[in-house]
Amino acid sequence: MTPLRLPVLHASPFVLLRAGLRWLRRNGETVAAREPVAYSNIGLRTPRGLDQTAPFSEESSDLQVALAPSHAGVLRSDASLSQGGFQDVVSLLPWDDGTVIGSLEASTDAELVPLILVGRRGLDAGEGRGELLSGWHDRTRAFWGVGSGPTGTLLSLGICEQTPLFRGEDFAYLEWFARARGPAQVMSIPDERTVHSSAVLLQQLRRTPAEAAAIADAVHGWIGERLVGSSASFPAFDTKQPSSPGRWPDGQSVLFALNLLNEALGPSPLLERTDLLGSSGCAEAGPPDVVSLSLGAEFTSHYRHKKSGWLIALHDYRLSSFVGPAIIGWLRRDFERVPRSVAEVGRDLAALTGELKARTGGVLVVQNLISTAPTDRIPNYSWLGDSFSSAVPVMCAEANLMLANLTQDHDLSVLDSDALVAEHGGRHCPDRAHPDRVLLEAQRGELHSILRARKIPGFEPTQLE
Amino acid sequence: MSRPQRRVLRIFAKGNVDVRDSLLWSRVGNRVEWNGINEVLRVQQPRVLAKVRHETCARLDFIPRPGEVLAGPPEERAKSLPCHVHAAHLQHRTALFDGPSDVVVLSIQPDLLHPMVRHKKDGWLLLPDGFPTWDAESKAWLREECVNAGATPLETTLASLERLVPAIEEHLGAHVLVYNLSPALPGERIHCFVGAEESVGLRVRRFNVALADLSSKLGFSIVDVERIAAAAGTDRIKVDIPHLTAEGWQLVAEEVVRILSDRGCFSEDSVGAA
Repeated sequence: MTPLRLPVLHASPFVLLRAGLRWLRRNGETVAAREPVAYSNIGLRTPRGLDQTAPFSEESSDLQVALAPSHAGVLRSDASLSQGGFQDVVSLLPWDDGTVIGSLEASTDAELVPLILVGRRGLDAGEGRGELLSGWHDRTRAFWGVGSGPTGTLLSLGICEQTPLFRGEDFAYLEWFARARGPAQVMSIPDERTVHSSAVLLQQLRRTPAEAAAIADAVHGWIGERLVGSSASFPAFDTKQPSSPGRWPDGQSVLFALNLLNEALGPSPLLERTDLLGSSGCAEAGPPDVVSLSLGAEFTSHYRHKKSGWLIALHDYRLSSFVGPAIIGWLRRDFERVPRSVAEVGRDLAALTGELKARTGGVLVVQNLISTAPTDRIPNYSWLGDSFSSAVPVMCAEANLMLANLTQDHDLSVLDSDALVAEHGGRHCPDRAHPDRVLLEAQRGELHSILRARKIPGFEPTQLE
Repeated sequence: MSRPQRRVLRIFAKGNVDVRDSLLWSRVGNRVEWNGINEVLRVQQPRVLAKVRHETCARLDFIPRPGEVLAGPPEERAKSLPCHVHAAHLQHRTALFDGPSDVVVLSIQPDLLHPMVRHKKDGWLLLPDGFPTWDAESKAWLREECVNAGATPLETTLASLERLVPAIEEHLGAHVLVYNLSPALPGERIHCFVGAEESVGLRVRRFNVALADLSSKLGFSIVDVERIAAAAGTDRIKVDIPHLTAEGWQLVAEEVVRILSDRGCFSEDSVGAA
């Protein structure tokens, strides 16, 4: 029987605090090596008199540590460490490394290893702290093994297909923790605001202060119309009409526009540095070593603001059900649609590959399109007529070929989802976009192979039992 | 008691393992693993019987149009070369236009996979089929007379089909189906093609995309082996680049029948009586 002790974590000169422990596995359960069994919210307190901004300043509200035994065994947990209620949410206790939280019946000695989970909220006041990495975040990340070498960082900027690939079934990166030894970091930025195509990312990388001001002016002008112009409408206070239920109709549109602005005026995610925490203290990781994109992102709807030149990319489904008619009206009036050919996408990906390499040394991995759907049968391509080139199977195949060709001359990698679907069968991803766990695990394995082939620090395999 | 009359669908299959194993039979050792397109027709079109005539294919541009004679090795020399399946004196000939066919099935597999040699002086091409097992004299002759011509360029394949498909439609009035190939090679994973330009998988993808484009212009149907294999799972139904399992060949034959049905080949007036 091996006692499981809280591991050493240092945040000096800041004070590391924790909330009560929340168990992920029950007493008596058999757990795998590096499978988290408990987690705790943590926080940093600045000692009185210290005039220094604490690390994680933009992420301090959603900072957690998940704990996993280094070896497999049967868990014996100490339930008394969980108090329930907000005592298990708010970080009030000092981080007491060495405290025994349970024990493990295992054939070999085991220790608890920490996985740090971090969420940067889309809106700081937007509270949603019930679970592992819960709430709305504009960026989430997980890191482990800090203090024992350089930390390799992998960033996902892909569309929905990459969310479960990176964040896993629990949306907390636990699959990666079991897979790679560390020190390593995996991050994900969702596509809920703009979709991260190569064109959008390139423009953000090259944005000047004057261009940023023009974008701010564009958004400010349109929001002003919603608030004080002739378009402004406040039906909840209209005494001539019966009170209408629900929210202020323009509220969501205004917030969506502000979110687009917030992302456009923030630093490029390709350049951002991140704070780390480990056994030897806090540290800083450089920009991502590897940036994962979706080829599918390149073919979402792109819009360019006519006056400022600001480029955004959006999923069409978001327009119809998430943001409403006011945003659609804004797009129609002040933006122009930007169709992108396969060749243009290739040029943008090539340019982004070069620019990323030059500025940070980072490398792109692009997840290709799944060209096969079991039901998508074209018995005769001539029957498609003028729609041939826009037919989904044709477009997917041409885009995938472009991407493969691109890797002959440019230093980027392809995550070949198309080949993985072919290998495992189309039933694992019948709609081309949302793979099941079999395919996700295959994709994760393939991505991991690419990271190892490229010698990204920290992504060597773990020595699991 | 007389058996109900079955209508005959005449299929000329010009290709190699893919068209033969799916349409005629697939044999492993002495055991027939898949018994061809009539297994599918028996269930789906019981009043139709396919008569499949199969001819191997060294390369699509080796198929002469009616009246055309293609340059090849001298007859006597050709007959002496110990080519395996693709007899040297027959590589540049075909019986395709010798009789009527309702359907002609072609494949890009030969162009994708067959390496050629070119005669130094006369310029004709030859598939030295089974070269490693040739006798010393034949090998010496080939080395002396010929140079490696490599694989077929994509443009050549497209030009071959542009030449051939209209000729088939004009002279035979037949429907033309062309098999593509699944690029998945079990076990192969390439994430970056720098230095791997000659990857078979990438070459197959290029050909498949171009074939779809050509199909949209010429109107032939593609038997999409890539889609069929991917939908079923290549780890289950693929053996290597050209070979599928019996289940795979059955799926391909079923797709051929679906395409023929889509093209109206099973309507009353489109097939002859047996």
